Formats: sequence, C-alpha cells, structure tokens
Amino acid sequence: MRLWYILRSRLRSILFRDRRERDLSEELQLHLECEIERHVADGVPEHEARHQALRMFGGVEQIKEASRDARGTAAIDALARDTRHGLRRLVRDWRFTTAAVLILGLAIGANTAIFSVVNAVLFREEALADPDRLVNIYQNDRAGRPLVVTSYSAYTEIAEYTDIFAATMAGSMPNPGRYLYDGAVRDAVVEFATATYLDTLGLRPSLGRWFDETEERPGAPLVAVLGYQAWTRRFRADPSIVGRIIRIEGRPVTIVGIAPANHRGTVDIGLGTDFWLPVTAVPAVFANLAPRDASTINAPFLVKARLREGVTLAQAKAAMDVLAQRLAAEYPDQFRAEGEFAVGPGITVVASTDVRIHPQADGPFMTIASLVLVIVGLVLAIACSNLATLLLVRGAARAKEVSVRLAMGATRRQLVRHLLIESLLLSLAGGIAGCALAWWGMRALQGIDFPFRVDLTVDYRVLTFAILLSQVTGVVFGLAPALKATRVDLLTTLRDEGLQPIDHRRLTLKNALIVFQVAVSVLLLGGTSVFLQAAAAARALRVDYAVDGVAMLETDLRFAGYSEPDARRLFDELLRRIEAIPGVQSAALVRGLPMDVHGVAIVVDGGDGQKGSTLEAAAIDAAPGFFDTLRIALLHGRVFDLRDRADTPRVAVITERMARQYFGAVNAVGRRFRSANDPNSWTEVIGVVRDTGTGDFDDDVLDPIGPLFYTSYLQSGALPTTVIARTSGDAAPLVAALQRELRAVDITLPVMTAQTMAQKLEGSQAVPNVIATLFGALGSLGLALASIGLYAVVAFAVARRSREIGIRMALGARSQQVVWSIARGVAGLTGVGTGIGLVLLVLVMLVMRAGSGSADIGIGSLSVYRPTIDPVALLAIAAVTAVVGVAAAFVPGRRAARMDPLVALRHE
Amino acid sequence: MSDQTDLIQGTLDLLIMRTIALEPMHGWAVAQRIQQISDELLKVQQGSLYPALHRLEHQGWITAEWGTSDANRRARFYSLTKAGKRQLETEVSKWERLSAGVNLVLKRT
Repeated sequence: MRLWYILRSRLRSILFRDRRERDLSEELQLHLECEIERHVADGVPEHEARHQALRMFGGVEQIKEASRDARGTAAIDALARDTRHGLRRLVRDWRFTTAAVLILGLAIGANTAIFSVVNAVLFREEALADPDRLVNIYQNDRAGRPLVVTSYSAYTEIAEYTDIFAATMAGSMPNPGRYLYDGAVRDAVVEFATATYLDTLGLRPSLGRWFDETEERPGAPLVAVLGYQAWTRRFRADPSIVGRIIRIEGRPVTIVGIAPANHRGTVDIGLGTDFWLPVTAVPAVFANLAPRDASTINAPFLVKARLREGVTLAQAKAAMDVLAQRLAAEYPDQFRAEGEFAVGPGITVVASTDVRIHPQADGPFMTIASLVLVIVGLVLAIACSNLATLLLVRGAARAKEVSVRLAMGATRRQLVRHLLIESLLLSLAGGIAGCALAWWGMRALQGIDFPFRVDLTVDYRVLTFAILLSQVTGVVFGLAPALKATRVDLLTTLRDEGLQPIDHRRLTLKNALIVFQVAVSVLLLGGTSVFLQAAAAARALRVDYAVDGVAMLETDLRFAGYSEPDARRLFDELLRRIEAIPGVQSAALVRGLPMDVHGVAIVVDGGDGQKGSTLEAAAIDAAPGFFDTLRIALLHGRVFDLRDRADTPRVAVITERMARQYFGAVNAVGRRFRSANDPNSWTEVIGVVRDTGTGDFDDDVLDPIGPLFYTSYLQSGALPTTVIARTSGDAAPLVAALQRELRAVDITLPVMTAQTMAQKLEGSQAVPNVIATLFGALGSLGLALASIGLYAVVAFAVARRSREIGIRMALGARSQQVVWSIARGVAGLTGVGTGIGLVLLVLVMLVMRAGSGSADIGIGSLSVYRPTIDPVALLAIAAVTAVVGVAAAFVPGRRAARMDPLVALRHE
Repeated sequence: MSDQTDLIQGTLDLLIMRTIALEPMHGWAVAQRIQQISDELLKVQQGSLYPALHRLEHQGWITAEWGTSDANRRARFYSLTKAGKRQLETEVSKWERLSAGVNLVLKRT
C-alpha cells in the first residue's frame, strides 16, 4: 500500500509539476491569510497584521524549495530547469548553435550513413526457423580451406544423407541477368535454387508457392519465384503478378510465388535477389553456366542443410568426412587439377549462425568494414575536438557569467551539470540533423540506378547507433570545456581586469585540440591522395586503347524472339548499314567490351606433357574489325578474320598479360588452352595483343589488368550484343546515328546502352571514382572543420588581446607587425599539426606496405593496400593545410590591424 | 520566543501525525492545534511545517486532498494513511521509551 502511495506521489510530482507548484503556492497563501486573520482577530490593524505575518513567515521561496526537496524531485526539477535554461541559451546564441549542429550533423550523418551500409551488408539477421540447426557445407580447396562454391553433383551426394539432415538445399551465387516486363528491359539479380530451398531455411513464401520437384526436372516449363523487394519496388506489390509470364534473359518464365519479405538471398550481403529459378533452368537461361552436367569442379552453389533432431554438428562433420573420402576415391580425376578453382578432397561443415558471408571472407569483410568505420570515426573525432575548441572559447567568454554564478552560491557541480546539459542538447540536435542527413543521403543513393541494389534501410540498430553516438560525443566534447570553464579565479574575473595575463604557455588544451584536428585532416587527405593516385593509375592503364571517336550500342535480341539464324542476319544487316554511315572508318560486332567482360575458368596446355591446371581468365567474344576499331596493337601473330569460321579449328587472341602469366612468354602463338568445363574445346593462340584495362572483372577495381583472351563469335556460336564504330569526327552524333540504324532494322529492339566509348569508360571507373570522392569529401570535411576551429581560436585570441594590441599600436607598432604576431601563433599550430599528420601518414603507409602480404583473402588484392609514398602528394597536402591556416588567421588578424587604438584601449 | 521550546529533530513528524490522526486538517490548522494543545509551549515554524508535511506525504504516511475549510476556503487537508497509522503507533511507543529513559536519567543523577 505504502509503496503505491510513494510511487503515485512521485509520479504525480514529476508529471504534474505545474499543478504541484500551484498547490504549494496556494497552500502557503492560505497559511499566510489565516495568520493575518488571527492577528486581526487579536485586534491588530490589518496592514500591520499583514506585515507581522509576513515577517513571521520568512522566505516563501526557501519554504517552497525545502518542500520540493522533501519530495525528492529536486534533481529532476533541476534537470528540467537546466534543460530549459540551456535551450534558451542555445536559441539566443543561434549562430554558434547553427554552426555546432551543422558540424555535428555532418559528422554524425556521415557515420550513420556508413554504418547503415555496414549494417545492411554485415549485421542484419533474418528470421529463420530454428537457425541453430542449420549448417553450411562447403567443398574444400587443396589446402583444406572451404571453397567459395560447392558443385551440384557434390550437393546431390550430400542430400543423400537423410539420416543426418532433415532437409538439404543448394542455391547459386547471385547472377546478373535481365528481364523484360511492361515493354522495358531491366537488370535483375538471378539465383538458381533447388525445390527444397525455402523449406530447408524454414521460411514460407509471402504469396503463391515455391517451385516443386516436378518443375525442377530438366525440360519442365520455366518457373520463377519473385523476390519480395523486387515485387514491392518494381511490380508495385501487385498480387496478380503470380501466374503471369515474364521474359527473363529472353525466356518466358511463369511467376509462381513471392519470396518471404525478410529473405534477401542465399548470400545476404544486401543485394536483394530478384528472381529464383530452378537449378535446371541454368542451361536454358544462362548458356555459359552449366552446373547440372558439369564436373564436380566449377558449378557455383552454396549448400545449406538442416540437422535432424538429435544430430550434432560433430556427427554431421564425421558423415561429411566419410563422403569426402568416398568422392575422392570414386572421382580421382576431379581432384587432380591445380590452380585457383581446384577442389581438394575435403568437406567443411559450419553452423550457419557462425557464418555471415563465407567462412573465408567474413574476416576480411569485417576488417574492411571496421577500417571504413575508423575512417569516418576520424571525421567524428575532428568534429568533436572542433566543438570542444568552440566550447572552450565560448567558456572563456562566459567566464564572467560563471564566476557571478559561483559567487552567488552555485556549486561547481551544478555549473558543470548545467554546461554538460547544454552540450548534450547540442549533440542531440546534431544527432537528429545527422539522421536527417543520412536519411537524405541514402535516399539520394537509392535514387541512382545502380546495376545492383543494396537494401539500405534505417532500422533500430542504425538509430541506436546514431543516438548513442551523439550522446557520447556530447559528453566527450562537453566535459573538458565544462570542467575548464568552471575552474575560474573569482576575484580577478569579477574585477574585470581588461588586461588579462596573456597565456604564453604552448601546451594548452585549445592548442592540443587544434593540432589534433589538423593532424587528422592531414591523415584523411593522405588517404584521399592514395585513392586518387590509384584511380589515376587505373585510368592510365585503361586508356591504353583509343576511345576517342568511338561509339557503342548494345541491344538484346533474345527479348525480341529472334531465332539464331535470323538474329545473325539482322546483325549483319545492322553492321552493313553502320559501315555505310558517312565518316565511319570501321565497325565491329562484339559480345563484351574491355571494361565489361565475363570471367571463365580455363585449363592451359603445358605443352611439354605437363598436366593442365585450372586458371581464371576473362573472355570477350570479338569479331573481325574489333582490334582495328579500338586500335588495340597487335604484338605477335594475327587477329581474327573471316577465315576463322565455325568449321575451322578454334582460335583465340590473348593479351600480353595472359601470355606472360599463363604461357611464360609474350610470344605464345601456337600454344593451346581449353575451357575447364569442356575437355574437347582446345583453342589455339593465333595472336597476342597489347593489354587493355579490363576494369570490372573480378573485385580488383584498382588493378584492372587481368589475363584476358578474345574468341571470335563466328566460332563460339554466341550471338553478339554490341556494335562499335569509329568515326573520323565526333563520337556523340554517331551514338544517335547508331540508334537510328537499329530502329531502321527493327523498331522493336531494345537499346540497352548507347554511349560514346569515352562515356562507357568513365562509367566503368565508377567504383574507384566513388571511393576517391568519398575520401576526398571526408578529407575536405575534416579540413573545413579544422579551419573553423582554427578561426574561432584566433578570432577569440585577438578579441582578448585587443587592449594589448591597442597599446602596441598606440606606441607605434605597425599593422603588419600586429598581423605577423598573430600569424606566427597560427603558423606554429598548423605547422606542428601538419608535421604530426604527415609523420603518421607515412607510418601508416609503411605499415600497410609491410603488412600486405596477406593478399590471400579471396576478394582481390587492391593495389591501394600497397600505397606508394609520393612526396609531391605530401607537399601538396602540406600546402593545402598551410593555405587553410593562413586563411583562418587572415580575417581576425586584419580586423586587429585595422583597430583604432583608442577604441581598443577603451575596450570594455 | 524564548519561552518556546525548539522541537527536537524528528519529533515534528510525530506531532503532525498525532494531530491529524484525530481528523483531517490543513497546514495552518495543524500548526495552530499543536500550539494550542501544548499551551503555546511548542510553536511550529512554517519553514519546517510544510517541508515536513511534504516529506510525510512523499513517504506515504499521510495523504492530501483538497477540501473546504471552516472559513469556506479551499485548503489542502492532510490525513493519515493506513501505513501512517501503523507508523504513528511505532513512533509513539518509540517516543515514550525515549522520554521515559531521558526522564529517568535526569531524575537519578
């Protein structure tokens, strides 16, 4: 009972504060009046009675305060009071507030945006039924580490273990594809999966059904399940889509269901899968992937299984070891190949809850994610120290207010609390601004039509992150200035000595903060320069072929329902028309471009009886005229001509990189290699050409030259997709001309891309450009923040020294001398900061150069991991910070120099 | 003033609770009643009365309600809660033991 009273009274005290205050006033008022009446009744005249009563009563406010204290709500009252006061103060100093909120908003916004990307890729979990019983199963490579993929035939063997696994499924890696719907051809992410896929995961389709085993049989009519995101975004969540036919990669496919809302794909890295097709649809839809009949080696599947009730992980591992031994004994040929894709005789079983993307990739992904977070964290650190500087300056300006309050009896604790609440309010506002900025930024990102779509949504984790971040920053940047501001010498401050002792100490908190900001900005600028270097190097490598005057047009005949011979005739017709355009010097049909290639696995013939090894290379289906049009120089042998037809031996032209890397000599003419999937596809090298940047192939965005070979589409049987043409004039009008010719041939054909080659090249460098731009933005943001801090400190120092400056000028100092004395201090601070930053930068680069031997992470080896130390870049960074420092000192310095000595002396 | 006794710390709570145990009353009446009953020996200052009332209310011993006073004025009437009644009994017995003890010491030395 009593507890109830206490709780109720406390709650009332807090919630109905105003009423409680009114009650108290009224109560005291009544008491006073009763007292007066008593005196009047005793015969005292009324005004005398009032006087007496009031005197007896004592301080009304003190009684109120004591009564409030008795209720135990004093602390909350004080908090509310401080908050109101702080808000008023922040509104009054709106210039300072706006600046601070902007600074914080930018920093917290950047952090929140980056975190939400990391969150989308690495942290978001999906709701699976009983996830503890799910395991991931991988075939090992020869070193015994889990491979990226498992073959379909191995999957069928694994699925036989029904005593261990209640259910087993295989899903492919996401593949880029295209679909035609509503008259438009769009990019899509396509996965191939088994009929058991969804049941194994323990999920239910949100609409319709998953495909069943009859639909998985070879030759069955094609069906697909639509991804939930694609359904809501691209089909406006229209339920009647189930049962309709969509053309995927040109093939009619019936949609049978919609995937669960929270399931984004087999490998959930934020790419939402748009379509799931049965595994048997692979050869029908993607001719170059052939898992069902392929060897154990090169089919790209990820296998998951659900353990039977009572079966432990160890039992599953033991069973898979037995299977691995059996496979090794039954198919010795499969395990003989060497190279990157080679399968070793082993199978790894891991609990699904322990894997995010892949056992081998998780570590590096986490490292990269934390690296990125550290980098944006540095910007936040700059913003924090920047605000701390501003607050220090403001605290010094408020020294008088603080000392008056101390003299009036406020405790230091109260004052520190008060100042901290102000900075927490600031950081909260900054956090809200940051969330708004991050939200806006992500919307802008989503608006760009990327070939793939990362699902960025602000979930509770992102919001918690932003709010925690803002509150932590509030304490971090607020505490030191608050402690410093309240440590004042009451007497001197109150006496208002106009000429304060000038602080000649070098190592003040303010100076340290400025030096820190400059140093971190230099680090960020250093990062920018490294990425710019790498991007420039990549550009230099890629433009080793002439793109000026070249235009390209890509179409896709599969969506127009052409038979293959008709398609060939149509392309020949198109080529003839384009060659007839005035000014066109040469034109060629091609499938794939140097910046737009597909990767294949090949086996190289050692020539001297050496056994073949499986290697990775990029391939382009070119045609006679291709090398002329792009002016790619021939080094050895010959390029294709019309003699190389389907009925003549297969030939290929390779790049010098491939020649050197896979054949050991630039002149590899006459050597042989074959596709890893087809033992009868031996192909002879007839020519070696100069390297071109292959760009997006693999993950190696900054090391764009990989082994690449060209085959003739006349031999490979693949249909061309693209026509390129070179003109003697400007390429831009040619783009329009190409489109006109395409329409003239068949008005229904879709235009996938129509660009000048220069534009296409630019677009292929989007990734390094985005990285460099991001770094540049962060670096400039940091530098801008640091210069604001520098400016504030200098301006404040000048204001404080105005009387000293006045005296100096009255005594005959010239304005240059004044400016110089101010500039000297600034130069010192920036100099020290830049120095420290450069030393740190070089150290970081040296560490990266030394420690980058571990390129064995399966996701490429970015050359940026081995940055070269470029003295020009370092000098440029130093120059930039110097210029910013001078600019920050110039304005206040000039104001000081222009000061009228009389005014300055009368200051305050 | 000199003939009035300052209240020992803690006894004010006891007196207030004892006073309002008879009937609910408002602050001024509580002070007056204590003064009257003690033959003007004990005078309760406002500066201690109201904090004490609020403290007791806060501790859940007493509760307050708005009502109308004899002079037809709105006033806050305090009354004991059940827990307050129990608390009063313990406090009274405590006080009796204490004062008996003090009296004995004063008489026998």
